[in-house]
Amino acid sequence: MTELVDVILGGTFHAAVLFLVAAGLQLVFGVQKLVNLACGSFYALGAYFGITAVGLALKLGLPPLLFFPVLILAGLAIGLVGLPIERVLRTIYRRDESYQLLLTFGFLLMFQDVFRYIWGATPRTMDNVYLVYGTANVLGVRVPTYNLLVIAASIAIAVGLGYFLERTKTGRIVRATAENRDMAEGLGVNASKIFALVFTVGCMLGTVGGALVVPSGAASLDMAVELVVESFAVVVIGGLGSMRGAIVGALIVGLMRAASISLMPEMEMLSVYLVVVLVLIVRPAGLFGKATA
Amino acid sequence: MKLTRRDFSKLAGTGILAAAAPGIFAPALAQNKPLRIGIIAPRSGAAGTAGECGIRAVQWAVERLNKDSGIAGRKIDLVIEEETNPKDTIERLRRLILQEKVDAIQGLISTGVSLGVAPVAEEEQALVVMWDGTTQDGVKEMLPNPKYVFRSTDNECEAVMGSLLAVKHFKGKFKRVAGINPDYSYGRNNWEAFRQILTRYGIEAEYVAEQWPKVGTMDLTSHIAALKAAKPDLIFSSMLFADLPVFMKQGHAAGLFDGVKMVLPAAGWQINQLKKEFTPEGIIFGHNTLYFDLPQASPLQKAFVQDYMDKYKEAPHWEADRAYFAMATYKAGVEAAQKAAGKWPTQEQVAEAIPGLEVESLGGKGRFRKDKIAEQVFYQGPSTNTNKYDFPTLASVDVFEASQLQKPPGADFWEWIKTAKMPV
Repeated sequence: MTELVDVILGGTFHAAVLFLVAAGLQLVFGVQKLVNLACGSFYALGAYFGITAVGLALKLGLPPLLFFPVLILAGLAIGLVGLPIERVLRTIYRRDESYQLLLTFGFLLMFQDVFRYIWGATPRTMDNVYLVYGTANVLGVRVPTYNLLVIAASIAIAVGLGYFLERTKTGRIVRATAENRDMAEGLGVNASKIFALVFTVGCMLGTVGGALVVPSGAASLDMAVELVVESFAVVVIGGLGSMRGAIVGALIVGLMRAASISLMPEMEMLSVYLVVVLVLIVRPAGLFGKATA
Repeated sequence: MKLTRRDFSKLAGTGILAAAAPGIFAPALAQNKPLRIGIIAPRSGAAGTAGECGIRAVQWAVERLNKDSGIAGRKIDLVIEEETNPKDTIERLRRLILQEKVDAIQGLISTGVSLGVAPVAEEEQALVVMWDGTTQDGVKEMLPNPKYVFRSTDNECEAVMGSLLAVKHFKGKFKRVAGINPDYSYGRNNWEAFRQILTRYGIEAEYVAEQWPKVGTMDLTSHIAALKAAKPDLIFSSMLFADLPVFMKQGHAAGLFDGVKMVLPAAGWQINQLKKEFTPEGIIFGHNTLYFDLPQASPLQKAFVQDYMDKYKEAPHWEADRAYFAMATYKAGVEAAQKAAGKWPTQEQVAEAIPGLEVESLGGKGRFRKDKIAEQVFYQGPSTNTNKYDFPTLASVDVFEASQLQKPPGADFWEWIKTAKMPV
């Protein structure tokens, strides 16, 4: 029983981080119809900036217990980098999708060199804070409290995002723009502003994800590319553009991976992509995606 | 003007001399020019830390040599190129040879890259002294008799030593064994070597879990959950990149190491990242060919470690030794070949002179065998956290020669490991 709980907790922790990045990807595609390959770079940017922010906060004498909110604030702050990037992407919204892929892939590669220039080639870790919250006992399993905080934060962000999109006026305008941009503009919606807002929020989801994961791991130049691959698996399973799909897809990928590692380690990625293939065959639009003609 | 026969002879003589001059004076001129040595090392990615450490060490070595008389009287210039994938690295190797016209090339850490580079270096007749690269596909030698390419000690040496020390220090204290190793030939061979050595020593271990994370995996919580579920008494891991400190941090937080013995034969590569707060004591901790805190270190090692730690605020690891060893060996080879030839030697003459020459490297004395594979000194031992650093050191140091840990020339590794005379 404890082994099962351990596997589920491990898988859920991974899914929590994966959800944040995939949600950013989904939001941007859902509204802007833009496949943003640079989402992995935002994740890495959040991780690097998180290390810098916590280092600075500790230097300024902030108690280590406050590093969790510092990380979230750091992720939100650096997520504002989405604004100028969206200005550049604006030039290719109406062009063929291949331009979008090329440009966002270009950003992915350029960010790697930016990270190398600012933070160096060596993977960076945050030594002192991961264990500051101690450990908790969940159904007989010892688990770092920090992992539970990340899972909780991810759930809170999912709920907040759902509330924003479903219940607020701006959320309704975002959904209307996603449904029919021309109609929304005809009704007086400033689509450019909505796109800037959506892209920045999508970027922030990635940067917060990166900032939250780094205390338990490390920030490295490769992390952007690795996560992009898994995020796309989430998107294919959940359905492109669907927030519910991001939640379910991330959980499937996270838990599937954890179960495979436990039962048959060689099948770690194969198991995930078997689900991807299955979904593509049986339900090409994904579990929660809308089929297009 | 009338040209007499005598005038013609004078002119012709001068002309012949002038034409021959570049040939006659070239060696003398060459000796006045600095030696150009190409360095190929990774500066980013998983092996970026290792490459950086090696580059720092070779720069330190060159600075010292240039303050003295260089190599056989010539100062040294370094031309540094990045080691990435095999295809691009081969391009850079060619550039160093053909455009930069370097006198020798040193570096290379990844065996995957070295395997591609070595045949090209042989074809171009370029002298290459590798830091950490081998030309083995797994444990099978793919370039048995190279003329110009010098390879590092076998990558399995540290695993053989770690396994022997597990027997020495832990025999009778464990039964259930788990492994978590990088998912490529290095990790797989090390794990198999460990198992074979336990068998040779009559240890009837029960292998309860095997994990193979991809290099660079930064979320190991699921792997740790699987290891915990297997309830091992001993964990063997030859992880050596940035994922090792992540594993230790996440494993410690999950309580994986409580009462569990650990063997980490390649941990020294991540020494600065393995903080005490999440690294338990008593680990069989491998430093490969340089243990920075060796009590009886040579004056050379002490000077290097002091300068390195003052400048970079961290401890150097074995890649520094490999880089220094490559430069020291090249110097010895050039000077021996020059002495024998009585003039500046060709790359071929230097390559012929190197095997058997013993040089002092940072971690101790070393040499290249006739098959151009290095033999150096290895350091490992049980770790302690009682020291002035924020990472572990060794409570006691075991020192083995490569000749005790490495298969002889031409031997099959798996046959050798079954029959070799082991030092424990």
